Amino acid sequence: MPQFFLNKRLILLLVSIIILVALIGFSLREREELTVPEQFLKDATGWIQNVFSKPQSYVKGVFENIKDLQNTYSENKELKSRLDGLAKLESDVQQLKKENDELREILDKKDSLSAYSPIQATVIGRNPDRWHELLIINKGKVNGIEQNMAVVSSNGFIIGKVKSTQQFTSTIQLLTAMDPTNRISAEIQGTDSYFGTIEGYDVERELLELKRIPYDAKIQKEQTVVTSGLGGIFPKGLPIGKVVDTEPDEFGLNQTAYVKPGANFYDIQNVMVVKRDMMQPNLSDMVDDEEEEL
Amino acid sequence: MRKYLLPLLFILFFILESLFVQTLPAEVFNSERILAPRFLMIVILFMTLYGHRDQGLIYGLVFGLLFDVVYTEIIGIYLFMFPLIAYIASKLMRILQSNIVVVSVISILSIVLLELGVYEMNYLINVTNMDFSLFLNQRLFPTIVLNVAFIIIFAYPLKRIFEKYAASLRED
Repeated sequence: MPQFFLNKRLILLLVSIIILVALIGFSLREREELTVPEQFLKDATGWIQNVFSKPQSYVKGVFENIKDLQNTYSENKELKSRLDGLAKLESDVQQLKKENDELREILDKKDSLSAYSPIQATVIGRNPDRWHELLIINKGKVNGIEQNMAVVSSNGFIIGKVKSTQQFTSTIQLLTAMDPTNRISAEIQGTDSYFGTIEGYDVERELLELKRIPYDAKIQKEQTVVTSGLGGIFPKGLPIGKVVDTEPDEFGLNQTAYVKPGANFYDIQNVMVVKRDMMQPNLSDMVDDEEEEL
Repeated sequence: MRKYLLPLLFILFFILESLFVQTLPAEVFNSERILAPRFLMIVILFMTLYGHRDQGLIYGLVFGLLFDVVYTEIIGIYLFMFPLIAYIASKLMRILQSNIVVVSVISILSIVLLELGVYEMNYLINVTNMDFSLFLNQRLFPTIVLNVAFIIIFAYPLKRIFEKYAASLRED
């Protein structure tokens, strides 16, 4: 008799392992959208998290204020020194902006890769197991958020993209997550700009890897890296970080630059979801055109 | 009323994990170390060991699924790990005496088991490429320290809650 029970347990274990593998396989597929029950569960917990997030952000705010007070003096000193340069910079920006608008008008070019409209959102949850680096925000499809939109932290640096959306909440995948599909077309700004793609995160050194830069590119430290807008979804010119180090890749055909991200990936309260104004042409249209040419 | 109190407690701890990660700035410790709260696992274990075993396993299953759907978007890992570990712990308790210290030690061992299991599975499906020694130093040890602190604070209240619940079940 005990032998029989042992077998029953063994079968249960085996069946559950099969179910486990099937479920993981199901959820690892490239999914356009989550299933309806999943969306419902996420929205329902999102509602509860929303209730808790207000007192949480208040408590955190109090502690941060105290921390801020401690270094007010040194901060004030530094800000004052920067203030002198600011007035000139401001007038320069104004002038350049105006000039840019005029030139655009002459060229009759209205759309720009760098134009975008932001949607403000608050972070209401974060993945506690720290493997997946996902955030949950309190805006969803109702507010016009779509999959793959860029997400920017409150200080303007890019932190990730929208992984999935529900009616009232959405999930953000941070740049630090290891996901081969998480790629951003980026540009190193300088006298010559070089293009590459952000393709991963070095956990040990806490640096982003900017790969596929031409081998002859001369890259200096402290050069700024921004999105290039060539990927089709992200707008142009969102800052990512600064170059720390470069090294040739394994075959010597390209270079890899290590980029120190400008955003803090641990302390995120408010984010901005960025919707690009310029529409991406339909892929099928482009394919058709090419065929005609041939 | 009593009936709904227990699911509420579980939901509270479920939300608390996310709130904890969000509130705690990693710089407080050292940003190189990753602290993962496993409060829900501990509560499920105490439920299984002090409250009702089968109900504890069902709570493990339900909240494992919820954890997968809401936090990781990969269904299966926690759905499988929570009940499995609760079951192993309940089997272990048959041999050992149910003393609060013993239960606490078992909970810590269970968290180690959970972390290892989740790491192995994530490694398998290529969510992470962290190597094992890095995993030990960067994740496992800080996580154990954090959860030991949680157990020290919450072990006794949790034991009281679930023992009361078990007593009320016996009365019915």
